Amino acid sequence: MMRVQVGRLITKIAVYCAAAFAIIPVAWTLLNAFKNRIDIVTPVPMFFFTPTLDNFAYVLGRESVLAGLLNSILISGTAVLIGAILGLPAAYAVARYPTKWANDIQFFVLSLRFLPPVAVAIPLMVIWLDLDLYDTRLSLIITYTLLTLSTIVWLAIPAFQRVPKEVEEAATVDGYGPYAVFFLIALPIASRSLMGAIAFSFVLVWNEFLIALMLTTSDAKTLPIVASELTQLGRDVPWGILNASVILLSLPPLLFIGVLSGFLNTIVKKNT
Amino acid sequence: MKAKTSLPVVFVTPTIVVLGILAFVPTIFAINIALQDRELSSPDSKYVWFANFIHLFSDRRFTNSVFVSLTWELVTVTATLITAILLAIMIFETMSTRSRNVLTLIFLMPVLLPRVSAAFVWKFAFNPLFGLATYPFKALTGQPLDLLSNPSTALATVALVDVWQWGLFFAVIILKLLESLPPQPFEAAKLDHAKTWEIYAYVALPMLKAPIISLIFVKMVESLRAFDLIYVMTRGGPGITTETLDMYAFSQGFIESGNISYASSMAVLMMIVTTIAFTILWKRVRT
Repeated sequence: MMRVQVGRLITKIAVYCAAAFAIIPVAWTLLNAFKNRIDIVTPVPMFFFTPTLDNFAYVLGRESVLAGLLNSILISGTAVLIGAILGLPAAYAVARYPTKWANDIQFFVLSLRFLPPVAVAIPLMVIWLDLDLYDTRLSLIITYTLLTLSTIVWLAIPAFQRVPKEVEEAATVDGYGPYAVFFLIALPIASRSLMGAIAFSFVLVWNEFLIALMLTTSDAKTLPIVASELTQLGRDVPWGILNASVILLSLPPLLFIGVLSGFLNTIVKKNT
Repeated sequence: MKAKTSLPVVFVTPTIVVLGILAFVPTIFAINIALQDRELSSPDSKYVWFANFIHLFSDRRFTNSVFVSLTWELVTVTATLITAILLAIMIFETMSTRSRNVLTLIFLMPVLLPRVSAAFVWKFAFNPLFGLATYPFKALTGQPLDLLSNPSTALATVALVDVWQWGLFFAVIILKLLESLPPQPFEAAKLDHAKTWEIYAYVALPMLKAPIISLIFVKMVESLRAFDLIYVMTRGGPGITTETLDMYAFSQGFIESGNISYASSMAVLMMIVTTIAFTILWKRVRT
């Protein structure tokens, strides 16, 4: 009995270590965002210091960061909106009106995820240059729509399939047309899972880096690009400012942690 | 039951047309560029057909990047899966429902971070002079530890960040899958005096075979997107020891020579190989 107890204790400690492994690097970055440079560049890590808001003030006062923030919000937001408007009806049709094409459409949408980002970014760069749209928000919105639209369709099909068929049939009996069934019945019932799918696609494009790096040079730069430029500064790195900008970049995706964790529950339930 | 309606056509057609254009136009363009000798600096170009592709096979930096990419796939997929399965089982065995909910949120956090952020967080932690992760080594030996500048440890160090994001995330999914299993097989195995590891190796994990194979598939696809981590943490260095295919294509097309046709031929090759490989794998997984 004693041995089993010890084994459980060791396992528990291992789990807590893993949790610490998940949190500590991020917590350390958060802590450093409130430090003066002199408190960061110490031979022994410092846990107690006089906090300062200078880093955040500096980051938020920089034009490049604000422009990047605005670009990220506009570009990700619009791409997700277009993805939802075009993707949700299509996903519903594939889920509810099975045709011989349904499987092919599902596979086509998934296979877009196999495309290496480099392979998309290089030709698009040439296309946008030729069209004189290179380094514009419009070109990045169109490019990101490929990501959001395929992701939303892919994740929304199972969400619509989980809506009980009987409810829709009852509505049809009550005289609802097929479009009314979609807008008034299926959409509201599936809304929680759909929000998860939409949130996921937002996180995907908000975090996107390689395509934005290749398709922008100044005007349309998104926040990840601006942040990465800060991290590539030379020897006299303003570490506090860097930590602050990384925290700023990471906040929006973390706001969705609750929605996405709920979404995960519904997906796993479906599979079993 | 349902009368003939225009809904499927109206709802599906615009989406498929948009996706088709967005996917096929760049693909055709990529192939077209790969067959030319286009450079960023000049708009003139002519067709050189397969010269770029032939050149690739005698390019030692290219073969190196293929090797690095394959190593990266193998290491990150295996390490992610092992971490996820072990951690999920440990949580499932010892933790109450309440602590599980808290742990779920904690283990979801790394994967939600933008990869640029994750890369920076760890690059900072591994800083040889004032990094948190290298401090214990420095304190014990008095020597600074520079894992990212050492050719033999750089790739493994970047891979650790990938596992930090995906291994912990997959642990949450596998935990939820374990929770969804019926309890009877576990109890039956316990009555037969099966050891804990035997219960998982012979009962629980085989029951989860299908979803775990799907997870492996997802991770294989996602591991191809290593660029952000490598770009921020090592830029392919030291030397070319962490230069994956996308990193090399990027530096050929943008940093060094602006040789966009050569970069495109690499991208096209990648596209063909991954599409064929993943299509075959996916059809296998589904049947």
